[in-house]
Amino acid sequence: MASRLPARWAAALTKSSSLSNPRVLITERHTLLPRIARRGVKYGWSTANPRDKPTRFNQPSAGLPAPTTGPAAALKRKAQSTPVRTGILATKKGVSAMYNSKGLRMPCTILQMDQVQVVAAKTRAKNGYWAVQVGCGQKEAGNVTAPLLGYFEAKGVAPKRHLAEFQVRGEDGLLPVGVQLQPDWFKVGQFVDARSDGRGFGFAGGMKRHGFAGQGASHGNSKNHRTIGTSGPSQGGGSRVHPGKKMPGRMGGQRVTIQNLRVLKVDNETGIVVVNGHVAGPMGCIVKLADAIKKTPPVDTFIAKARRLTLERDPDHEARLESAREAHLELKEMRKKGRIGEAVALAGALL
Amino acid sequence: MITQSTRRPLSSWKAVFRRCRQAQQQQRITMPFRTMATETTPTQPEAASATPLPPAIALQKPRFHAIKTNNPSKPIRTAFAVYPRVPSARKTCPAALESYHAQQIRRLDRSGARTALFSKTNPDAAKPGDVLQVTTRKGGGEPFAGVCLSIRRAGVDTAILLRNHVSRVPVEMWFKVYSPNVVGVEVVWRRPRRARRARLTYMRKPKHDMGNVDHLVDAWRRTRNVFTTKGKGAGGKGVRGAKR
Repeated sequence: MASRLPARWAAALTKSSSLSNPRVLITERHTLLPRIARRGVKYGWSTANPRDKPTRFNQPSAGLPAPTTGPAAALKRKAQSTPVRTGILATKKGVSAMYNSKGLRMPCTILQMDQVQVVAAKTRAKNGYWAVQVGCGQKEAGNVTAPLLGYFEAKGVAPKRHLAEFQVRGEDGLLPVGVQLQPDWFKVGQFVDARSDGRGFGFAGGMKRHGFAGQGASHGNSKNHRTIGTSGPSQGGGSRVHPGKKMPGRMGGQRVTIQNLRVLKVDNETGIVVVNGHVAGPMGCIVKLADAIKKTPPVDTFIAKARRLTLERDPDHEARLESAREAHLELKEMRKKGRIGEAVALAGALL
Repeated sequence: MITQSTRRPLSSWKAVFRRCRQAQQQQRITMPFRTMATETTPTQPEAASATPLPPAIALQKPRFHAIKTNNPSKPIRTAFAVYPRVPSARKTCPAALESYHAQQIRRLDRSGARTALFSKTNPDAAKPGDVLQVTTRKGGGEPFAGVCLSIRRAGVDTAILLRNHVSRVPVEMWFKVYSPNVVGVEVVWRRPRRARRARLTYMRKPKHDMGNVDHLVDAWRRTRNVFTTKGKGAGGKGVRGAKR
């Protein structure tokens, strides 16, 4: 077996060789090894923790090819299908049409963004992936649980009705906490994916749910006009119902993604985003809009511009977040000590 | 109810007891405010001054939401700062769909003629049962005339359904009222009495079918001044010139 290269820190020591401790053995191959007799025979010996072996888990110093499995490999694999920047949350307001300059009618869905704010950022180091948590809507404080009230207090953000996460490709896609996203986050003409919960149809039969043909109205048919018929072969086929057999059951009410919808119109004043085509779900449902993963994202200059505008509209977001965090820590301490009543009284007197 | 006589105050013992009870209750309520203990300065303000509010609280002015308890000795279980909301688009524009319709109609129907022709408030508006003629930009400019079976009102997406017989074959066509391809809509013939249905689907049945309406169109065309140009819109009922 090929001899192992000394670790980086050991190699550095060998060059300088400024170590003059008699209790530490310095040789050409192995440096900084204490004079203790715990040696193996097979691969040389090391006093390091066996779990810190450089070959273990294919660390960079091992000189092996990059692993094709594991969290890092998974993130790299999914990078090209992860949007560069975050998406937004919107409410479906209804369906209408728009005419382009050539007079062509395009059916469209009107979505409204209400108080869409960045609530948190998830990082590779802390959470294992890059993502932006976005909230929308509003909620009375009395309807929010105490843990969530504390969460929003720490962010310096008013309680949100809905929260959702948007994975982004890297750190560049993250946004500071507390900034508000407006419809001009999207470029007119770009493509987006719309994710929403489709309309629920309740318990539906085979004809409606799976498009079964049903049975004849006559020819001796008796009370079996819309039933699914047989559910499998008999003896020889196993006399059993195979897994995954399409049967009556709950229909709809599931997450539906509509890909590659073109953005037709954005309006910051009314907060609307108009997309070409239809989005799943009833009016008033929450829709996650993000850059389409199967189309090229908008040009970098536009992405940079949208980001700059978003940050410019809220110039003191950093100071606000910082002060909210400090206040949260102090208030947390007061809550622990049971003295939060004093803060409430004092705030009431101040305001 | 037993009332107390002013002349004989002790005539009704029940009333006397009731007054006593009420007086006692009143006293019990007011009592804490009269005791010596509360007159002394409580220790609470000192404690509060020892731990002043975080500067951010005074800066951003959040509201405090206190979660209360039934325990009188500890009225507040806990409290959280609730920060002010950002401006809400939903509040400034509660009817986003309607405002979209209005904005698109402004763009597509500058003169307002299309809107007026199918407005519910306009007494001269076209109604189901009338015979209408639609001129389109496409199809070589050949107008299509037919009896209006229904008006599907949907803001900028409002559409009308016309039915006619072309070489003895019944034909129905939907037209989008605000489409730029629809150059003009004219009322050819008005139904003498208003239809008592919004959608005249019964007119598809042979018994009620109007058949070909070309004779009505011809008669209407004869009444118009044939020497005037198209753009003048004689009769005043059409929406010629509604095109942007």
